[in-house]
Amino acid sequence: MALPWIEKYRPRSFAEIVNQEEAKYTLASWICTRYKAPKEFCSRWAKKRDKEISEAKAVLLAGPPGIGKTTVVHALAREINYELIELNASDVRTAERIKQVVGRGLRESSLFGYSGKLILFDEVDGLHVKEDLGGLEAIIELIETAKVPIIMTANNPYDPKFRPLRDISLVVNLKRLSEDEVVEVLRRICTGEGAKCEEEALRSIAKSSLGDLRAAINDLQMYLSGGKKVLTVDDIKRVGERNPQLSMFEILDRVYKARWFDEARAVSFNPSFDWEQYFVWALESIPVVYKELELMAVAYDRLSKADIFIGRIKRTQEWELLPYALELALGGVSQVKNKPRLPPFIKYGFPQRLLVLARTKEVRRRRETLIEYLAQNLHVSKSLVRAELIYVLSVLAKHHPHVIERLSKSLGINALDIKNLL
Amino acid sequence: MEEVKARLREFVRSGNMPHLLFYGPPGTGKTTMALVLARELYGEYWRENTLELNASDERGINVIRERVKEFARTAPVGKAPFKLVILDEADNMTSDAQQALRRIMEIYAQNTRFILLANYVSRIIDPIISRCAIFRFSPLPRHLMAERLRYIAEKEGIVLKEDAVDVIYELSEGDMRRAINLLQVAAATNKVVDSNAVAAVRPSDIVELFNLALNGDYLKAREKLRELMYIKGVAGVDFIRAFQRELIRMSLDDEVKAEVAELLADLDYRLTQGADEEIQLAYLLAKLGTIGKKVRLGAPPPKKR
Repeated sequence: MALPWIEKYRPRSFAEIVNQEEAKYTLASWICTRYKAPKEFCSRWAKKRDKEISEAKAVLLAGPPGIGKTTVVHALAREINYELIELNASDVRTAERIKQVVGRGLRESSLFGYSGKLILFDEVDGLHVKEDLGGLEAIIELIETAKVPIIMTANNPYDPKFRPLRDISLVVNLKRLSEDEVVEVLRRICTGEGAKCEEEALRSIAKSSLGDLRAAINDLQMYLSGGKKVLTVDDIKRVGERNPQLSMFEILDRVYKARWFDEARAVSFNPSFDWEQYFVWALESIPVVYKELELMAVAYDRLSKADIFIGRIKRTQEWELLPYALELALGGVSQVKNKPRLPPFIKYGFPQRLLVLARTKEVRRRRETLIEYLAQNLHVSKSLVRAELIYVLSVLAKHHPHVIERLSKSLGINALDIKNLL
Repeated sequence: MEEVKARLREFVRSGNMPHLLFYGPPGTGKTTMALVLARELYGEYWRENTLELNASDERGINVIRERVKEFARTAPVGKAPFKLVILDEADNMTSDAQQALRRIMEIYAQNTRFILLANYVSRIIDPIISRCAIFRFSPLPRHLMAERLRYIAEKEGIVLKEDAVDVIYELSEGDMRRAINLLQVAAATNKVVDSNAVAAVRPSDIVELFNLALNGDYLKAREKLRELMYIKGVAGVDFIRAFQRELIRMSLDDEVKAEVAELLADLDYRLTQGADEEIQLAYLLAKLGTIGKKVRLGAPPPKKR
């Protein structure tokens, strides 16, 4: 399985994390003074004795993207042998959901002999005021009551909405990485992959990453995709430097025209790849590319299976399953048996679903009103109305116009509209 | 049902009633019984004293808690000592939500009673079951359903043939709601309701979709699918159920039928597991096309006359 390199080369221990000494000392000191942690770890890393550190109820790790905030927490959990309970921005984080996930995590005793639990709220600045209703309050409440260490990460902790969080937490800043430090890591990865990489090429990647190590590693993986073992500065010039912002059309083109599985899979390493959008566009474009029903069915089968993994991930938060979903949705859709030669230009077309949804918003709203009314007055669930009763009503309406008139009067929707809804 | 009625009547008479749990398949009278009970308890004030909730429609246990709280705040109107909360499809709640529900039932036990309605008692958590008096509702036996259908037909001035009753019973599987719906739809289009009139009753849109897909016209089928999903609000699983019913009536090779049945079963699973219903149904339509293609190729060429 082609693991993203940012996962494959993610530091597992404190020692492997580059150049965040200050943050590591602070974090370790906090853990060691307030919670149970191995002696060797504490004597090596817990070098600070400030009162501010020992009194903080939680830690807020701050810094720009891709410098290792999440990695530090994962490494910490590993160092002190704690189980990590993680909620990140991709999850819904309403108060209820937070309590549910964390509650379940804390209630269930861990397997594998962990000596404690550590809660990580990743990317708290991704908390949505409306969608994650009460999320921030729930986190604060948890900090006040929980007996386990709680760490949060954020790009910008000085956002006014974090004021209450900042008041009870210790803000630890992680540094932006220097160009040399990024090059250093990239060089190690090249060696690890058995690739020969020109110094100048790595420097060029590092430079345009602006200290975002994750972006730099993703770029490197993209340049070396498809099993390439040499990277020269010319390669980079040819592809264009960082952020070749690919449009969805270009992404689809790369996937469908990929010659190998790996090549299609590697499209996901592009920084402009957004898998949620990709699924919608793939759904639309499969019949455009594969006109034969058999091929279409194979491609849809794989997309369907990928979507099953997405469903599982959304329900259980097992993000480690994402690679399966992406392999099926990219490599699986790209590499079907008896694939035809594709024309140089394919007209992929904008997803009609999005247009249909936009166009029918008003109709759907009215329909929902009608369904609610029927559910309430017939003492049944809305799904039963949708599944069975609407059909009964539509037949009746065809033969008995007074049915529509009565509904129209009760609902305040004009009769013609109701007729169209049924 | 006589025994159930007798016991419920006893509750009404004594003015003392525990929480109740009615369970049984759809269309066996659970909701109706709950509403009748509400009327018996409160007479003309039944609406004021009854809160109807549907677990699968309310968004989360918090909404339910808020609504119960609001409802339980005021004293019951009339002589009954408690108010009534009817919670339909309670077995659709997660076990966590049911735990919360149990708490709610306890907190408001002073002046409310709950009637929980469910299809499967096995999906209700034990602590709730132990707090309720339990009543089982069974599918209607043929003779009772027939009796009721004839009664309705007579009242509505419908000519109902005996073979139609058979078909209705078979299609509805003891679900009285579905049976009455079938009768009403059949009667709307036919003066005399016989077995053919009943058999013709089915959502033509979904049947059309099924045929488009089997004929291999994927793009047209997809357009139809989107219309049904996004405008008419048909849920994924309802397509599968309708296809299933349609499959039985189709004249296809048994092997092909088995293949389609297998696909539909697989799809049901995929729909419950997946995240995006249209992706799953897109696969269904394309796959149906390939199955249909085999039939079209394998079939003998049409005879020329």
